[in-house]
Amino acid sequence: MQATQATKNFEIIVDSTSDLDEYFRQTYDIRLLYSHFTVDGQEENACVDWSRITREEFYAALKADPDRFKTAPPSVGEMALCMEDIVTSGMGVLYLTISGSLSGTYEFAVKARSMVLDKYLDAKIVVVDTRRFGPAIGLMAVNASLLRAGGRTLEETAAIIEADKNRYHQAGWLDDLSYVAKTGRLTNAKAFFGTLIGIKPIGEFDYNGLTTVLGKAKGEKAAMDVLLAYVKATITDPENQIIFIAQSNRLKQAEKYKGMIEEALHPKAVYVKDVYCACGINVGPGLMAAYYIGKEISSDLSAEKNILKDLIGG
Amino acid sequence: MSIARVDGFLMARMLQNGLNHIRSHEAEINKLNVFPVADGDTGTNMRLTLENGLKYADKTPEIGRYLCSVSNGMLLGARGNSGVILSQLFKGVYQELSRADTVCAADLRNGFIRGYRVAYQSVIRPVEGTILTVAREGVENIRRQIGRSTSVDTFFSMYVAEMRKTLSYTPEMLDVLKSAGVVDSGAAGYVLIVEGMLKFLRGEILDGKEVSPAPVTAAPAPDLDLNSFNETSAFEDGYCMEFLLQLMKQPGYLQNFRIDDFTAALSLYGESLVAVQDGKRVKVHIHTKTPAKIISCAQQYGEFVTFKLENMQIQHNERIRKLQEEKPRKPLAVIASADGEGITQLLYDLGCDVVIDGGPTMNTSTEEFLEAIGSVNADHIVIMPDNKNTIGAAKQAKLMYDGQSAVTVLRTGSMVEAYFALAMDVRDSKDTDFRVSQMKAGLEDTHTLAAATASKAYSSGGLEINAGECIAIADGEIVCGSRDLTDVVIEGLRRMPETANASGLLVFRGADVPEEDEDTLADALSGAFPDLEVSIVNGGQHLYHWLIGLMN
Repeated sequence: MQATQATKNFEIIVDSTSDLDEYFRQTYDIRLLYSHFTVDGQEENACVDWSRITREEFYAALKADPDRFKTAPPSVGEMALCMEDIVTSGMGVLYLTISGSLSGTYEFAVKARSMVLDKYLDAKIVVVDTRRFGPAIGLMAVNASLLRAGGRTLEETAAIIEADKNRYHQAGWLDDLSYVAKTGRLTNAKAFFGTLIGIKPIGEFDYNGLTTVLGKAKGEKAAMDVLLAYVKATITDPENQIIFIAQSNRLKQAEKYKGMIEEALHPKAVYVKDVYCACGINVGPGLMAAYYIGKEISSDLSAEKNILKDLIGG
Repeated sequence: MSIARVDGFLMARMLQNGLNHIRSHEAEINKLNVFPVADGDTGTNMRLTLENGLKYADKTPEIGRYLCSVSNGMLLGARGNSGVILSQLFKGVYQELSRADTVCAADLRNGFIRGYRVAYQSVIRPVEGTILTVAREGVENIRRQIGRSTSVDTFFSMYVAEMRKTLSYTPEMLDVLKSAGVVDSGAAGYVLIVEGMLKFLRGEILDGKEVSPAPVTAAPAPDLDLNSFNETSAFEDGYCMEFLLQLMKQPGYLQNFRIDDFTAALSLYGESLVAVQDGKRVKVHIHTKTPAKIISCAQQYGEFVTFKLENMQIQHNERIRKLQEEKPRKPLAVIASADGEGITQLLYDLGCDVVIDGGPTMNTSTEEFLEAIGSVNADHIVIMPDNKNTIGAAKQAKLMYDGQSAVTVLRTGSMVEAYFALAMDVRDSKDTDFRVSQMKAGLEDTHTLAAATASKAYSSGGLEINAGECIAIADGEIVCGSRDLTDVVIEGLRRMPETANASGLLVFRGADVPEEDEDTLADALSGAFPDLEVSIVNGGQHLYHWLIGLMN
């Protein structure tokens, strides 16, 4: 699975919103640009590990007072420096940013690109607005790395990612919708109550990367069954893809979900991953979702809603 | 286009575009207005304030001089709370840039930082989630990314983007916005003005044509129904008072005017106070029920140049009337019956349209269900009774109802079942059948244990229970009794076969159970059923000490 270096002529950049931890960044040769978060007014780099704060401490603090935390993208200057560093080493740049509907990152990256191009006219820099957030970006970066290792050029890789980005699904539940609602990551946030005791809202990405509740299941077991059936109905070519399962304080359930997916779909690999600070602040505790490539997501999610309707509502 | 510097002429055209932008959206902004008082005039007030600023502006290439004249004009013409704050934002910008002939992006950044600071200072009790927050976060979030080399259009582009982001969060900062489902009107108006300025830099010249009809002035709208305030009306909102006070040097007036003392004195008689001094004139905006006190306080120092007093109750009543008239027909409405403040609030939070107070006996009548059906405006109405005995009354109401709405009575045999049914609703779905089927799915495989006190002795199936003992009722059947309330809950759950497959318990605490007993029960449940997740909420129900739903 190791991405080869032989054909590499461009670097892939993600920022902390990709939730791509060091193992994957090293394995797939992906560069990380730190996003930032502020806690009690103090700014910090949003690390994609638990070196500065433990998972438990972070989620306990977030749950106790979500308003203490705020996120911010890397600055235009930081982006430009990173791009310049790569360009001066003779490489191209592919920056995969969080959805422009959720953050100003894409706009910042385009400005940074323009600044670098002013100095280096021949530089090759492509910025892709992934229309996604979190592990879906990480998965996209891994797939971009595999394309690169397979000999694809920067332009070809970017074109494939651009064409496929609306095929990246999120099939999971989020126990407390108040975090995504508060940070603008939920469609029709007004229609949802924060925590629904005993009820699992089943979420999927819409075109802009906002989480949309397709339906609800009562209890964990029913939710797991519905999710697996939904993944089966929407995934394409499961044997040839890597699947990420992201979880924030739902490790036990994620491991179970992993086992169910492996048994039913036999993918190349399924990885259970943490949700680190940059994303955790925005999704809160209680996320448990699989990220994979599947059928093109319909513009109004009507096809996906119908699938879930058949699975839940009958 | 990349613009490095702005002079007075360019700023004038940018502000004109900003004015045209808010003018186009004036009615839209007015409709958002719910804070501090829902008088529906924010868009108009902000437009008039800026309009007055531009009316008296000097034609000069020196930006400092130009902004000075705009700021003075805005102060004189400032209308309403949002207008005064807007004038203060620009006053701060002017103060920062007063000596400049032309300015770059970094200067503008400093100007808008000073602007929000001056605006905050002008408000006695700054409230977050308003124009103040948006103006502050908008510039603070980008301040380190703006340097001498940043172009002016880039600055405005980033400023607007950040403000829009903060604007979208305003409902989370102010409950009144959240419950009305709107963003803050003053903040939205300010974003539009700055966005209009940005649009000019991008070559988009706006004509100010109204996107939707808007009132021409801030005076009472032409269709304001003065009959909405009469001899029986409540008077809770008071008056909106605005005036421009000329401080006098003549004998008979106090000469030691200090704005801090003045605002401290006025704040005793009203809310939403904004008072700003500009030389020998003071602009005041206040909401008060006792205008005479304000007038006499002000006249100690000077005389009024302009004065406006409006009865906000009329505006408020009129707005409520219009909202009711405009209340759109919903595809689906939910009516529930329940006993207990906590449960009732929970059901409302989950989107219930009407919760009928079933009272301690939980005996909602057919008539009460019929009345509730008549009070909602929906194509489809779902009714959720709170116990098995009221399902019949709800069904009878459905039979007697002769209106146009389809009515479905769910067989919710307990408030726990009603909770699960409602929590499963997908409210943003346009598919009513799907929503109803989701609610029905919430009912499936739901089991309830209730703990109560036996009102009389009971003997059946080997159970011998004395009057006054605690009893556990599982899905309507008495399963055990005990003198101890906690013991009866534990034993009741043990006797329910469904407990073995449950993943958690949802527990409603009764009105007569002290809050501290929640910990006692939680500890006992965790000890007896370590794998179950326990969530306890204040139900406030009267008949049952504890009402427990099993989650599978």
